[in-house]
Amino acid sequence: MNNMFAKRDSSEIDRSCCIPLLALFGGAALWLVFGSVLGLIASIKFHAPGFLANCAWLTYGRLQPAADDALLYGFCLPAGLGVALWVLARLSQTPLRGAIVPIVAANLWHLGVLVGLVAILIGDGTGFAWLEFPRGSSVPIFFAYLLLALWAMMVFARRHERTLYPSQWFLVAALFWFPWIYSTANLFLVAWPVRGVAQAVIGWWFANNLLLVWTALVGLGTAFYFLPKLTGCPLQSHYLALFAFWTFILFATWCGIPPGAPVPVWLPTLSAVAAAWLLVPLLVIAIVGLRTVWGSVKSSWDNGPFCFIGFGLDCFCLSGLMLVAMACPQISRWTDFTWFGPAETQLRLYGFFAMTMFGAVYYLLPRAVGMEFPFPKLVRAHFWLSLVGVALLVVPLAIGGVLQGLKLQNPDIAFADTTKAMLPFLRVSTLGLTAMLLGNLLFFVNIIGLTLRWKLALLKQFIAFVKSPLEPGSACASLRRDKEVRA
Amino acid sequence: MSDESKSSTPQSPDAVLAVSRSTVPIWIIVLTLLLLFLGMVYFDHHGGWFNPQVYGPYASAEELELYQPKSGEAAILARGKARYDLVCGLCHGVDGLGKPGQAPPLAGSEWVDTKGIQRFVSIPLAGVGGQLSVKGQTWSLSMPAMGAAMSDADLADVLTYIHNSWGNKQGPVTADDVKAIRAKLGAHPQPFTGETLKALPE
Repeated sequence: MNNMFAKRDSSEIDRSCCIPLLALFGGAALWLVFGSVLGLIASIKFHAPGFLANCAWLTYGRLQPAADDALLYGFCLPAGLGVALWVLARLSQTPLRGAIVPIVAANLWHLGVLVGLVAILIGDGTGFAWLEFPRGSSVPIFFAYLLLALWAMMVFARRHERTLYPSQWFLVAALFWFPWIYSTANLFLVAWPVRGVAQAVIGWWFANNLLLVWTALVGLGTAFYFLPKLTGCPLQSHYLALFAFWTFILFATWCGIPPGAPVPVWLPTLSAVAAAWLLVPLLVIAIVGLRTVWGSVKSSWDNGPFCFIGFGLDCFCLSGLMLVAMACPQISRWTDFTWFGPAETQLRLYGFFAMTMFGAVYYLLPRAVGMEFPFPKLVRAHFWLSLVGVALLVVPLAIGGVLQGLKLQNPDIAFADTTKAMLPFLRVSTLGLTAMLLGNLLFFVNIIGLTLRWKLALLKQFIAFVKSPLEPGSACASLRRDKEVRA
Repeated sequence: MSDESKSSTPQSPDAVLAVSRSTVPIWIIVLTLLLLFLGMVYFDHHGGWFNPQVYGPYASAEELELYQPKSGEAAILARGKARYDLVCGLCHGVDGLGKPGQAPPLAGSEWVDTKGIQRFVSIPLAGVGGQLSVKGQTWSLSMPAMGAAMSDADLADVLTYIHNSWGNKQGPVTADDVKAIRAKLGAHPQPFTGETLKALPE
């Protein structure tokens, strides 16, 4: 092994990612809070339709997609990319080089999200679910992703161990997955739209591949890295993870077309069969998680990141089961066009993915910056608020969704009565969203607090540097001494 | 943080992130194969075989065909087939090949696949009893007058269907033909025997 590839100290690797991670997570935390505020307003509109109804910007049809996209593109993707960058650097034992590129890319990304969200709110969205960002936003986002993924791949390519740890398969696959699906969907739906029913099929395919496959790849890669690390137990096991990886990406990518879809019947049938096959990777992932943390749950329970990631993995398995149920034609009769679907999406996006990212960020950001969070006690509060929020959001909507489906199937019940019967469930879900918003605010406060602390330290360093010539033994003085020696 | 002492050991902690090498249990492999098999069977039954014209809730092109409205000859044949499968197919088989020892074949039978329709129409109106030679084989029969209760039009459809299926290629039988022959046979005709049937003109 030559000198260039000498093993580095882990703190040096962490510090090399500092500024890109602060840029990615800072913006992500901002969009997370922004998205939860929009989502909360949208939710209130269900039981108070007059609330903020006079402003076209704040009508439901714009608020809900803006809230969804702020969570997905504003928080999930940049947070996932940041975590992937750090985990890949750690596993490769290689510091990040040329950090300026990911810093620029992170800012380009957040600028793209800003443009996209404003476009949705002024009524300029594309109209395709999860793909509402117009061209002026999707192009910068796409190139920002390419740059970040390229830099992550360069770190990966300079890795020390040739044999890969399971997390690396998942994260590298995710790096490639998004450019493929995002470019395909944008080209065929926005740039040169295909005709007729194929649009809906491509829309479902894209949403499924982003919300199910991409989030699972990044979330599981992160969980498989952190769970063994936080518990101190080995991952159980290499071969189970390998089996889960291949079966998951093989089956999950075919899901997403609902059973009642008005498309040729082979498409929804294939989706239903693939969803049933998804039970295998779900089972294997549950086994991997359980076997890995078995016996150390109690001792790790006081560890903030562990709680977040453990809860995330539970939500992954649960939302996977809900997805399989929704894809089954016999059950989907009671879940189609009800609140069951949004409940499942929220459980996967927030309960699984965002929670896993919170855990990872709480672990890695203090190491990357080299400072503690300003309010470490808020981590615990954030966890409980988010847990209660997810429970209050998902459980009522899922139960209410099934009841709604049963009522919709009954011709004796008027449609308006069915809708009215959902009101109590929607009120509880608003409470859940409020709890989640509070939790997200705590996250935001910690991230921004840490950023300010880091900037303050930089400022102090700078002042010390300016003052240093007056004091012997400082950086400048030693520099001067070096010059004298050389002379 | 509380995990600091556990995770950052003196040497670089990610150098050897421990992974167990235990293998995948065999029952998971068996379960996977079972699910794959069942899934493919399900797709076989419900997938419409990638036919772009088959939409839910229909599962195949054949099923779809059943629900298509028909006109002209196709309508007569479809009606005739439905009635044949219900009334005649039990003994003569939906494939027209008959049942050994019970009912002679209709496909290529010298009593059926003929240009004249006198005998062909009379058989279901009166029934057949006793010995009858069909395609070189002697059958001992007791066929009731299965067609006597059908309307002229219905029986005409069934007979047209028989005349044009399983390799039989003859002209149509009209309701007027059936009406005329029914009138000639009278109200309660005796079942034919081989001899009386032969005595009829083709």
